[in-house]
Amino acid sequence: MTKKQNKDFTHEIARNLSFFKMLVIYFIVCLIGVAFLLLNFNSLIVNHDKKLTGEICSLVTEKMNDSISYMTNSAENMSAALSAQNHNDLQKLYDELSLSKKGSGYMSIGFVDENQKIYASETEIEEFEKWELLEIAKQAEPVSISAPYRSGMTGQPVYTMFADFTYDNGKNGYLFLTYPLKEIQNMAYTDSLSEDTEIWLMEADSDNIIQCAGSDNYSIGSWNNAILAMQAQIDNDYQADYAEWKAHMTAGEDTAGITYEIGKKTYTQVYAKIDFMHGWYVVVRIPSRSLSAAIQQFRTSVLMFLGILFVATVIMFVMSHIRETEEKKILENLSIHDPLTSLLNRRAFDYTSSQYLKKSTKNEACLLFIDVDYFKQVNDRFGHDAGDRILVEFSSALNELFNENSYISRYGGDEFVVLVRSADKSEISLKLDKLQKMAGKIKPCDEPEIYGDFVLTFSCGAATFPFDAADVKSLQSAADEALYIVKERGRNGYEWYNNDIQN
Amino acid sequence: MKRIFAFLVGIIMCISFAGCADKKNDATEVKPGPDFFPLTEIKEGRKNIYLIVKTIENNSYWDVLMDGAKDCADSLDCNVYVSGSYAESDWKTQERLLGDAIKANADGVVISPDDSVNLAGKIDEVYLEGIPVVLIDTTANTDNYDICYMTDNLMAGQKAADEMIKQLKNNGVSDDENIQIGIQVGQASSQTVIERLAGFLQFWSKHAPDSWEILHDIKCSNGLPEKALEYAEDILALPQVKGIFTTNSGPTVGFAKALKNNKRTDIVFVGFDYADEMADIVNDEEYHASTILQRQYDMGYTGVESVIGISEGTDIKNKFVDMGVVVVNKDTINQPDIQEILQHN
Repeated sequence: MTKKQNKDFTHEIARNLSFFKMLVIYFIVCLIGVAFLLLNFNSLIVNHDKKLTGEICSLVTEKMNDSISYMTNSAENMSAALSAQNHNDLQKLYDELSLSKKGSGYMSIGFVDENQKIYASETEIEEFEKWELLEIAKQAEPVSISAPYRSGMTGQPVYTMFADFTYDNGKNGYLFLTYPLKEIQNMAYTDSLSEDTEIWLMEADSDNIIQCAGSDNYSIGSWNNAILAMQAQIDNDYQADYAEWKAHMTAGEDTAGITYEIGKKTYTQVYAKIDFMHGWYVVVRIPSRSLSAAIQQFRTSVLMFLGILFVATVIMFVMSHIRETEEKKILENLSIHDPLTSLLNRRAFDYTSSQYLKKSTKNEACLLFIDVDYFKQVNDRFGHDAGDRILVEFSSALNELFNENSYISRYGGDEFVVLVRSADKSEISLKLDKLQKMAGKIKPCDEPEIYGDFVLTFSCGAATFPFDAADVKSLQSAADEALYIVKERGRNGYEWYNNDIQN
Repeated sequence: MKRIFAFLVGIIMCISFAGCADKKNDATEVKPGPDFFPLTEIKEGRKNIYLIVKTIENNSYWDVLMDGAKDCADSLDCNVYVSGSYAESDWKTQERLLGDAIKANADGVVISPDDSVNLAGKIDEVYLEGIPVVLIDTTANTDNYDICYMTDNLMAGQKAADEMIKQLKNNGVSDDENIQIGIQVGQASSQTVIERLAGFLQFWSKHAPDSWEILHDIKCSNGLPEKALEYAEDILALPQVKGIFTTNSGPTVGFAKALKNNKRTDIVFVGFDYADEMADIVNDEEYHASTILQRQYDMGYTGVESVIGISEGTDIKNKFVDMGVVVVNKDTINQPDIQEILQHN
């Protein structure tokens, strides 16, 4: 049995889906599964983050607004108390209060009387003019807060809060308290997420922002502009969302939120209106990753587990495939080969030869039907082992002569059939002549005194395709017919179908 | 078996490639600034003051400021060493120079920080070493300095916006005309620049007609002259742009060049500082250019004077002194106080 013969046969019986194809399909299915899982997971994280960061932003803005309200309430209470005391000398009151200001949160206190005279230090009076603070004071109903400005005394940003009050029997004036912007920073500070939470005050009309909290302590209190610091940084896909968010602020709505990306980072940002600080808003921003870090870690663990599971499955598949292939090879050998001679068995020969002839309508072939002469007598005279030896050695002779381009089979007990992929009668006849010589040398045992004058011969009938028959069965019948003629003639010879007797 | 092996290798490669991050190196290379060198004659036994400016070379603004520092040192009899960066974006050079001043046991440091935020930590370090620190021109985001002499840039920005509105009206732009104002900033991380921008926008939002719109695409040239010119050309190509505002010298020079190149006499331009290109266009009757001038000579002079005083125990009351600005245009250029400032430019 040649490798070529094996290959032809096993190819035909192999399944259409090879192991490799199945492995690729398995890989694709796994990839689709992981992609689906990731999409779902990411969507879950994003939704979770949006919801949670939105809520946290709202809480922080609420906290900021409550703190500012607390300060304005304090200013209102102080002005109410001073009004109740009905002071008639504001200079005296200013002198007293400015001396006792330490430890009260604000850095300075002063008054504006009904004639717009300012009771404050020289530097502060200059700042009133420079920053038009009297205009802010007039907005106090009952309280107003200025935009932050740089204090000449400290060099740091400050803001001034005004509260209306009465003095000297019903005259209207204003109490003012100047706070460092750091007071707002202190309000903004939260233990949790302090590294990630950024808080600004933002003026809607100018887009100016002042940072109140953030990861970098040194950037706190610095001015910036939202066009440069926020809008220009946001990915293009979110520019329209940002514009909408800003439009809510410009329209004076109390609060609005937005989620956007800068690079690969997702942020949630919420603003809330500040009471008494006209046109100013608190803006809080938190990166989503800070909240989803734990979930992302879990996602990484799941992915690692799936990766390990996938690799283990592939290794298991490959190992199982290798074992299966080896077992299959053994079973295939057993099912298509004659166990004694290793030639094709009858079933395998019929299948392969009929397939060959079906596919080879343009080619020529020759079928040889061979019988070992008087084989039964060999068995009777020398025993079955000797008979087996004869068959094995005869098979080797056939293999040696017809190995290339032929299918060789042991068809029955002492019957052999060979399909030669050629119909060249002279060439095949030469080989049959050689086979006769080789058969003559085959002995049932090694001892001449036992086998004596024993000479092995065979009879052979031959038919050609497509000249003598158009299919395997007809070809076999034709060869059988030729064999019958040889046997009738006394065996030990070969015959071509159509009375073309050679020997 | 080979195919199975190839398949497994393929999977491993897929996983490996998927894990590779695309890392970009977008750092801009800037030549580090030089070590300190003497600004004055160096004599034994005098106090050693270290002056750190934003741009050490080819910048008329900082040359004038150093003139002021040198004149003060000569009159107060002290040594002044000076250095700075080659580009305002290079705050790392200033950080290194602050470290050098500590090592040299400076009697005082006068600095104009390139970056108010990034340099704050190092300024803290110098101050906590007991060395008097005077900030000039630009503040830093820390309390750890003695005094700051600078322009209140928020106010300077407001004055620039006021000038822009006045000049647009003088130039015949009506309140209901739909026009745009282009803005270019020099260094987005500089607090000086940002405060001028904030002041400009603050004043503009309150006083400019609603139909006069600020272009939201605010350009930042990052201290690079070629970028400043390129962005200026881009903005001038927009048909509705009738006004230009620049926050500092770099973009101001860029726009002055672009206006001249394109002969855009219809544009109202308000910038900062008095570089040759800006002086040229302010003095040209055909153009409508105004510039906001700081008193940088006074800053240099007062900075050295103050740091010497502090090192000798003078008490400081206010930490912040606004040196004020003047608006220079065709109408004001001949006023005596402005001529005096221009003499130093």
